[in-house]
Amino acid sequence: MKDETLPALTGLCAKCGTCRTVCTLYPERKAEIAVARGKVALLEAALSGDDPDAESVQEALTDCLLCGRCERACPNQVLVEEIIMKGRADLAEEVGIPAWKSILFGKVMASPGATAAARKAAAAGERLLLSRVPTGSGLHYRFPGGLGTGGRTVPELPARGFVESLRKREAASGEVMLFVGCVFDHVFPQVGRAAYETVRASGKSVAVLRDAACCGLPAMVSGDRRSAMTCVEGNLRRLRSADPETIVFPCGSCLLMFRRNIPSLVPKGTPLHEDALWVADRSTDYASFLLASGVVDRLPEPPAGERAGEIGYHDPCHLSGTLGKGPEAREVLRRAAGSGFAEMEGADRCCGYGGTFNVRDYPTSARIGEGKVSLAARGGTKVISTACSGCVLQMRDMAARVDPSLRVVHIAELVAQALARGEGAAPRR
Amino acid sequence: MMDPKALAALGELLGDRLRTSLETRICYSYDATGKRFLPDAVAHPVDAEEVRRIVLLANRHRFPVVPRGAGSGFSGGSLPVHGGVVLSTERMDRLVAIDTENLYAVVEPGVVTETLKEEARRRGLFYPPDPASLKFSTIGGNIAECAGGMCAVKYGVTRDYVLGLEAVLGTGELVRTGVSTVKGVVGYDLTRMLVGSEGTLGIVTRATLRLVPLPEAAATMLALFPGNREAAGAVNAVVAARVTPSAMELMDRTAIDCVLAVVPIPLPEGTGSALLLEVDGPAPSVARDADRLAEVCRACGAIEVRRASDARGREELWKLRRSISPGLRRLAPVKMNEDIVVPRSRLADMFDFLAGLSARKRVRIVNFGHAGDGNIHVNVMTSGTDADETRRAEEAVEEVFRKTVEVGGTISGEHGIGIAKAPFLEMEVGPLGVSVMKRLKECFDPNGILNPGKIFLSEAAVRG
Repeated sequence: MKDETLPALTGLCAKCGTCRTVCTLYPERKAEIAVARGKVALLEAALSGDDPDAESVQEALTDCLLCGRCERACPNQVLVEEIIMKGRADLAEEVGIPAWKSILFGKVMASPGATAAARKAAAAGERLLLSRVPTGSGLHYRFPGGLGTGGRTVPELPARGFVESLRKREAASGEVMLFVGCVFDHVFPQVGRAAYETVRASGKSVAVLRDAACCGLPAMVSGDRRSAMTCVEGNLRRLRSADPETIVFPCGSCLLMFRRNIPSLVPKGTPLHEDALWVADRSTDYASFLLASGVVDRLPEPPAGERAGEIGYHDPCHLSGTLGKGPEAREVLRRAAGSGFAEMEGADRCCGYGGTFNVRDYPTSARIGEGKVSLAARGGTKVISTACSGCVLQMRDMAARVDPSLRVVHIAELVAQALARGEGAAPRR
Repeated sequence: MMDPKALAALGELLGDRLRTSLETRICYSYDATGKRFLPDAVAHPVDAEEVRRIVLLANRHRFPVVPRGAGSGFSGGSLPVHGGVVLSTERMDRLVAIDTENLYAVVEPGVVTETLKEEARRRGLFYPPDPASLKFSTIGGNIAECAGGMCAVKYGVTRDYVLGLEAVLGTGELVRTGVSTVKGVVGYDLTRMLVGSEGTLGIVTRATLRLVPLPEAAATMLALFPGNREAAGAVNAVVAARVTPSAMELMDRTAIDCVLAVVPIPLPEGTGSALLLEVDGPAPSVARDADRLAEVCRACGAIEVRRASDARGREELWKLRRSISPGLRRLAPVKMNEDIVVPRSRLADMFDFLAGLSARKRVRIVNFGHAGDGNIHVNVMTSGTDADETRRAEEAVEEVFRKTVEVGGTISGEHGIGIAKAPFLEMEVGPLGVSVMKRLKECFDPNGILNPGKIFLSEAAVRG
């Protein structure tokens, strides 16, 4: 292993075991290799020449949701997420990256054209091959159980993405730039649309980044720095040259990538690193933007007494963890839905998605996700709102599995609904 | 290396719950002491029968078996110092029953202590032992080390709550000890033999634990004193006033400074020592006791007394005590963590001694602890990179133990002997004590396969 910063990072671990109390995965695995303490010990062994099998160590590092709870609970403030990502990247140089990952994250998702083509093919495929599952959020298609897919469902893919649906010169430039992200462009364009319309309600000029590559998070957490840089370079340059005052991210994972991960990915002292810092400084989450820009003040009084407490908010790990966000989205929901919003049971439990974790171990991911969603439903929640693409994907699938009447939405969709209700009605202030 | 036939037999018994990969073995090679010894294999049995079969195989093939809960101990109890099989109780984590009429719980050893406390709380009951590690340490580990905690001053320690056990002895025999009732004296007290035996006499596969009613209310108080003498005086005055607090934690200036480096807590000028007290019980008596404690503290020279009875306020006051561990790590990377107990009346003398020792040996010593029972956690902090400093630190530790025994104390209040204190066992119990203990070990584990290398210093490795 070559990363020279790792020994100092891993050296902070005092082996106390506190991480075992908060690890989302530990209850599923019941083995030390599942928790941060074990993973750090493996890296320490690799770094000190004990020679554990690189593939096995990579396997152990990959078996992690990167929910970040260990890091937040650690009494010695060990930077576990950084350690795991650096470890994965370092080991990837030795053991390689699975081909499907480097192709999907480094070629397909790095290219807007390829992503759109893939979406079209997948849309056709699901209609032809899979069985239909109507849900409260929309149509899903279910994979047959046998193929190791565990009966997962996927949402119906749209004919057109959100960005495709914009008119030619629409949202070409503006003080505010909206970075929609792959999922809210191609899978749930209604979220991209809702984010766009509601951000426009701020009265500011809004641009939507076209031809955006994936933010690069899937590649980065896979340890594929090269593919991540492919995604990142173009995005950074075009965001910088567009020169917005603010960049708004409806997806918490994209935001984490731009705020925290990209500045550490891009080599320091380069012009691109300057761009990375510049962009990071201007990046904000959707809810914070709505509060700061006064959009919430344009929302009408929410209808009183209507279905009290049926809307809950799920805290995406990537937003509530390092970025410390949570109160903002709740404030937005209170303004948009009034008494319709209430804190839901288990709001801060990880949804279990973990990105590619969901693919490598769907049964475990589904157990965690089903637990989360069932708990919320038992507490009376009928609509789960959130602000992360991974969480929406996961919880929609989980709802299809345990309670198809449960709706899963992005908070922007609720804000858009509230604004539409207010059309014609006097604004609140 | 272990006999491959033994490993094969274990594999047949446990399937993929026996792991021999280097990566898994690395993950079970350490505990909270940070020391590391590689086992030959790791086993995850799911029931008493599997534990029994593992121990029988160990007797036949002569390999060590090292029981392990969460691996969070401070004395090396779960370290496989002679290799062999680490037997993890992680998959034996069922809370079998809580009897709310007869007030006991039956649990498997892998149940996390906080889980039991929470389940009891939900039923209006209380499992008192609260070691600092309670959120991740297991009942089995707590029993093996007779874990204490902050409430020991009022509620006692783990052994006071173990009514009965089911355990696999070193011979492979599965025994049931004790009772499920409040009282019982039927033959020798095998339960008490096993509690605190550090996995060297038997492996607990089930425990029957006493529960008490959950106290109605609690109040917390933080008293700031000019120095250890005043604070220790207050500790004794509290006892003289016949108030039994449910926690009485003392932090000397070294510990306070550690905390302040990490968490800013405003303290009055001239604070040299802090006492955190808690009382619990029926609401009216809690209020009355809290008043009396505050009076006592002031009479003993407290500069300031802060009080809280709401959950949030109490959490704030506890922050000073709970932030010590993280603060310690920032002070220096290597810590020799001792847990001596002295008679309460000698606390002040002990603190004076420790301050003098720190100066004489030129090592940093941070002291805090469960003053209510005279238990001081003495932490000798070193850089780990200076051989002379390490030597001076080890000498200091030995002096601490000698002084402790001299004033009538004991060298381990709640962490156990393990490997950390094995060199000092004889200093306290004497050669005859060691001899009697070894005779008992022979009875329970004639082949010496259970957790060899713990408690007794010169134990040979099990011949494999």
